[in-house]
Amino acid sequence: MIKAIFYKEWIKTRWYILLALLVSLGFSAYAMLRISRVCSLKGAEHLWVVMMQRDAIFVELLQYVPLILGLVFALVQFVPEIHHRSFKLTLHLPMRATSALASMLSFGMLMMVLVCVPALMLMWAYLQSVLAPELYWHVLLSALPWYLAGMAAYLLTVWVALEPTWGRRLLNVVLGVLLLRIYFLAPAPEAYNDFLPLLAIITLCYSILSVLSLTRFRDGRQD
Amino acid sequence: MFKTSKIFFCLLLLFMMVWQLPACYNFFVAKSVDTPFTLYSGIAGEFASLKLDEDKKMHYRDASGKEYTEEQFDSILPTFYYRQLVTDGRFPDSIHGVAVTPRQVQMSNFNMRISPLDLNKPRLGIQQMLESMSGRVDLELPDDAFRITSEGMEFVEMETNTIDRDKSARFTQMMKQKGFQFPATYLSGNPTDRKEYDEGYVMLDATKKLFHVKQTVGRPYVRAIALPEDMTPKHLFITEFPSRKWLCFLTDTDGYLWVVERDSYAVRRTEIPSFIPEEQSMLIIGNMFDWTVKVNRGTEECYYAISAQDYTLIDSMAYQTPRYTIPGLSFTSTKDKFVKPRIVR
Repeated sequence: MIKAIFYKEWIKTRWYILLALLVSLGFSAYAMLRISRVCSLKGAEHLWVVMMQRDAIFVELLQYVPLILGLVFALVQFVPEIHHRSFKLTLHLPMRATSALASMLSFGMLMMVLVCVPALMLMWAYLQSVLAPELYWHVLLSALPWYLAGMAAYLLTVWVALEPTWGRRLLNVVLGVLLLRIYFLAPAPEAYNDFLPLLAIITLCYSILSVLSLTRFRDGRQD
Repeated sequence: MFKTSKIFFCLLLLFMMVWQLPACYNFFVAKSVDTPFTLYSGIAGEFASLKLDEDKKMHYRDASGKEYTEEQFDSILPTFYYRQLVTDGRFPDSIHGVAVTPRQVQMSNFNMRISPLDLNKPRLGIQQMLESMSGRVDLELPDDAFRITSEGMEFVEMETNTIDRDKSARFTQMMKQKGFQFPATYLSGNPTDRKEYDEGYVMLDATKKLFHVKQTVGRPYVRAIALPEDMTPKHLFITEFPSRKWLCFLTDTDGYLWVVERDSYAVRRTEIPSFIPEEQSMLIIGNMFDWTVKVNRGTEECYYAISAQDYTLIDSMAYQTPRYTIPGLSFTSTKDKFVKPRIVR
């Protein structure tokens, strides 16, 4: 049954996943192209010096890309089904509703990993050719919270989308925005290093919130 | 599962309250605590300060409350206001019986700021070492960077991203020869070309021994600096002041501030009471006779006057800086550049 749900989700979202992958890779490639341009115009030395002395990481334009991709992915995956009332059918499949939701969320998270990891791999592959390990890990570790924010945005948007009442949905939006702010507080590159493992666990915990919305949806709560 | 999600949601609401409510309160009630700009005046023999009152009128006073005019204030702080005194033709021939010129005053003046933000931040692990004796007036940034591993010192050529094995071996060999045990546990340097001269780095090795390492004509210069027996260094601050009198300042595990003199490598303790650089900020405004040292201890702004000759305490005073904020959960702090949950008071 899980396989069937995965297949259903794939059919539903495959074009968006392809687009998200292209956007994610495109932005990473553009950031690397800009670094390559700095190297060809001013030399790799300039790149190193600016990174060492001015805390520059050259990939700031990627900051909100995973967040937007995660948010839109949740909307693409859940909103049409809820809007066409076909989500209720999913809940009537011969499996527990929470298991069905867990399968859908697992698919979503897996696809988010599929969209984000190639972008990080692309950066890693290029940066290691021009930078010392200290410097390219500096860039990648600084960017990692943004990719976690993408996962969080996905899970929190599902929580908001499944919520059946507008009053509670508004509260969820406010809470979600505040929670997402945590991923963008960095006063310096690599500021999240110590907090990253805990932040990753907290991010995964956001998936539990959807059960709350699901239960309220099943109970037929309305405004 | 529903119960778990409900509990998690309640925890989330609680977390939001502990995070956002104190933050909102502190945002709206926050007001700056203005303390007067204060310096030690060797002429007056006490601290002197200037403060703008509510009518935007500047008041110049010493610690005993005596009021000064602006011109009198310049005269009791001749090393700080030497440019004004020179412009007015009032610069004295001697201060405290010592003949001085404006140039001497300019060269011996220094400012040093130590902030927890500069210490509590992610470190790259790779930095540059300038050539300290290039023969040119202006310093130039090198074309390599170095890291210190448990094996030795490694120079990487930036353009090609490859290790310069010869240079790495030269430095590693020299450092080992001088008793340096890898890896380094602390480094302090100022790798910029916007300074008058370069002293390279001061470093603590794996056994907390202090070393001075710099590059002179492409060769390593390594010097072990003898520390007093009962002292364990904790933080190092390279100085590179125009006077070239000191190599670095350092703090020890007991919170004392020490100075390392540049020519003799003598390590001498100042009489500034406990200073914790990870939590407190320090500003030193020094001249050839004395230093005014401001230590921000949270609810107290302490001022110390230190003799520039023997580093003894001449005078001290403090301003109370009450806080109007309430404690709460925060992810950032004014004392570090990390993001992590912590209770901020």
